[in-house]
Amino acid sequence: MADLTTTPETLPRRAFSGRLVAAGSIAGLCIVAAVAGPYLLDSYTVNILVRSFLYAATALTVDILWGYTGILTFGQAAFFGIGAYAAGITFTYMDFSPQTAVLALLAGLAVSAVVACITGWISFFHGASPLYVAIVTLALPIILVQVLYSGGTFTGSSSGLVGYNTFDLSVEAWFTICGIGLVVLTTAAWFFVNSDFGRVLVAIRENEQRCTYLGINAPRVKILLMVVMAMIASVAGYAYAGYTVVVAPEIGSFVFGTELVMWVALGGRGTLIGPVLGTIAIDVISAYLSGNLPYVWKLIIGSIFVLVIVALPQGIVPVLKVSLRRLWSAATGRRDATLRLAVPALVDAPEGRRAGTGSDAPAVNIADLACSYGSLKVLEGVAFKALGSELLGIIGPNGAGKTTLMRCLSDGYERTGGTVAVFGHGIARTPPHRVVGFGIGRSFQTTSLFETLTVAECLRLARHRLDGTRMLSHAPMLALPDAARRVITATGLDRQLAIECRYLSHGMKRALELAMVLALEPSVLLLDEPTAGLTKPERTLIGSILVDLVQREGLCTLIIEHDLEFVREISSRIIVLHQGKVLLDGSVAEVVGSELVRTIYAGGVHQELAP
Amino acid sequence: MTALVLDIITTAAILFAVASGLLIILGVLKIVNFAHGGFLTIGGYSGLVVTQLGWNAWLAYPAAAVAGIVMGAVIERFVIRPLYDRPLDAILATWGLGIIIGQLITIVFGREIQFVQTPITGATSVFGETYSVYRLFLIVAAAAVAGGIAALLNATRLGLEARAVIMNEPLARGLGINSGHVRFVTFCIGAGLASLAGALITPLSAVDPNMGVPWLVNAFMLVLVSSVSLTSLATAAVTLGGAQVLVSTFVSPVIGGLTIVVLAALLLRIRPAGFGHG
Repeated sequence: MADLTTTPETLPRRAFSGRLVAAGSIAGLCIVAAVAGPYLLDSYTVNILVRSFLYAATALTVDILWGYTGILTFGQAAFFGIGAYAAGITFTYMDFSPQTAVLALLAGLAVSAVVACITGWISFFHGASPLYVAIVTLALPIILVQVLYSGGTFTGSSSGLVGYNTFDLSVEAWFTICGIGLVVLTTAAWFFVNSDFGRVLVAIRENEQRCTYLGINAPRVKILLMVVMAMIASVAGYAYAGYTVVVAPEIGSFVFGTELVMWVALGGRGTLIGPVLGTIAIDVISAYLSGNLPYVWKLIIGSIFVLVIVALPQGIVPVLKVSLRRLWSAATGRRDATLRLAVPALVDAPEGRRAGTGSDAPAVNIADLACSYGSLKVLEGVAFKALGSELLGIIGPNGAGKTTLMRCLSDGYERTGGTVAVFGHGIARTPPHRVVGFGIGRSFQTTSLFETLTVAECLRLARHRLDGTRMLSHAPMLALPDAARRVITATGLDRQLAIECRYLSHGMKRALELAMVLALEPSVLLLDEPTAGLTKPERTLIGSILVDLVQREGLCTLIIEHDLEFVREISSRIIVLHQGKVLLDGSVAEVVGSELVRTIYAGGVHQELAP
Repeated sequence: MTALVLDIITTAAILFAVASGLLIILGVLKIVNFAHGGFLTIGGYSGLVVTQLGWNAWLAYPAAAVAGIVMGAVIERFVIRPLYDRPLDAILATWGLGIIIGQLITIVFGREIQFVQTPITGATSVFGETYSVYRLFLIVAAAAVAGGIAALLNATRLGLEARAVIMNEPLARGLGINSGHVRFVTFCIGAGLASLAGALITPLSAVDPNMGVPWLVNAFMLVLVSSVSLTSLATAAVTLGGAQVLVSTFVSPVIGGLTIVVLAALLLRIRPAGFGHG
């Protein structure tokens, strides 16, 4: 298959390194500015900017959580506050020394990590609504402020702590340190969100459910991300306390938490640079204007915010960027090539990592399976076994419970009764990403992909569970098992690796969906109408690939189909579901020849059963 | 003991009245209206205007409701409507509206806390316990709000359409229901209810430009645990409001202030349907 390996196109690769150079030079310029700034700006502005840098660093964490991963959080203020109070309390009661400085930093990091972990555990679980994390993170700063109030003289209650000893640094030194810190953080964040792992975050934002069926533990990814972002915010708060020599409950309040979200939205969510610039600009202007026009200024900011959310949801910086680019291409007469990331080279994945290989137990063993919603029984007493090398067709009229059956096999929380075992392991009550680990791979009836991800990125997502994902860079290779390789080469997807999914045709999307499931290296394949809406040749192609897979690799395949002809051609056995029960389970000839099946499809049984 | 029970009932009544406007907006429009706090504030200041003009204190309630409905109509048309498909953005935009309302009120009325006259004053004896008549009146007011919403939902054409939109909006639209109109009217009513609730609570405390915020958070939590059902909201208000009163009385008022938020968040983690069926 070596001849089918696609070589990475050179153009996108150059585009990526071009961006790298651009990002590097911008970062370098910013560091020069951070060193030179204090000599060029007046002392009041320098003073304000130090604070703005720390706010911007915190806003950056909000952008990674909300802009990239879709976690709307009001809680970063609380972590900022925890870091600040760790410093304030330590320096007030233990005095300032290099040792206490380190102690305070570690204490802030530890407390915010623990609090973030608890917050994450409460907010992210299988089936949690995206609104829920907004509620929990809204409650977090409210609770923190109440704790600070009830701390009495220890936390300084509503007036906070002031006048403790702190780092002996000039304002100019603070400016340089915080400025460089912000540049380094922003650069690291840029590498992070543009890495392969950054695509995982986007995938979770776009379609978390699909991610979990690809074996990605989305709740855990989100909790870890929240912990890291909390620790960064805590360091910013620590520096704030060291610099201003004041800590008050306001810096951990939910008003500050909402302000952070506002700055990110105004600057441009999901752009990193937008939130940083937006925060700095708004904070500096606020410092100048709020003295003279306190209420009017807040009114203006509030109005602009509403306007931006309604009319420019992408924020101000992306709009400026687009218009600047237009001006540039109008002036130079050149059109910017669309920037795309490097396409990885496809290689063969090592074999033999399938779950259940060598097991004597049946691939799938279902006993007394039931699923009901309230009084509506969708499945009742379903029981059958399926072995490796079997291609089991599941047919039945609409509403027979076929898709529900797939759901019960791939998500341990779905069924209301009975057991499902994969190679002898009961799937118990486990979320889909664990079930994938048992060897089950499921494709969906309605194509469920990641619209803004490229074909290569989608496939890499499916390999996350087995191969891991790089945090700060792009892997040059993409290892795929033979079966997935065959699907993408046969359908021509290998020549479209850099295309975003939304631009694919319906047939291509179905093929990609199948390739992604195969990339999981499943031992049991659940396919829900894999050929729906495909043309005859496409259908034959998929059918022959499936038959080949089952025969050569011993894959147990359960396939839902409406097209009896197609099922008859490929299946080794057929199960007929009707009104939630197994009506027939037998060889292709038995089922196709059955009078009963014909009556069901003609609707006869409905009439017979009706009183 | 009697006083404690009365505290629980009246607290629940107040919470119910405050949260009901948020509930119907969430139910029909599927968005969380963070301007709810702003509408509460508008209601409070409507009461203040009535006081300053020297009108009868009872007029505060219709004045507040009308002010809320008018504001709601304007906001729905220009801010909410473009955000139907972006529920998380709607949270942010309505939060921004809350800021705008708060700042406008600050500019017009000043920052300081001000007092509003009460239509009913004094105390009465309930089972041998002296208790504020106004707090007792709030039970009646909350019951009237609940009855009003229930009648609107169950006995009018708009209510029928609203229920259809709550259950299945695409289908309702397919059946020829103008869901845009239903949304508009619902938002106005929700805003009016919020504003009315603001006028109802002000005689207990006072008005200031940020008075709505603490109420907003509690109301938001109650609505989320009630899965868009008025009876569940009543249950939630009694249970969580009751817990709040008990904790405030026996433990500490500061922790009491957090009771609803913490309990509701934990409840949703354990049982995502909250007090609703599901």
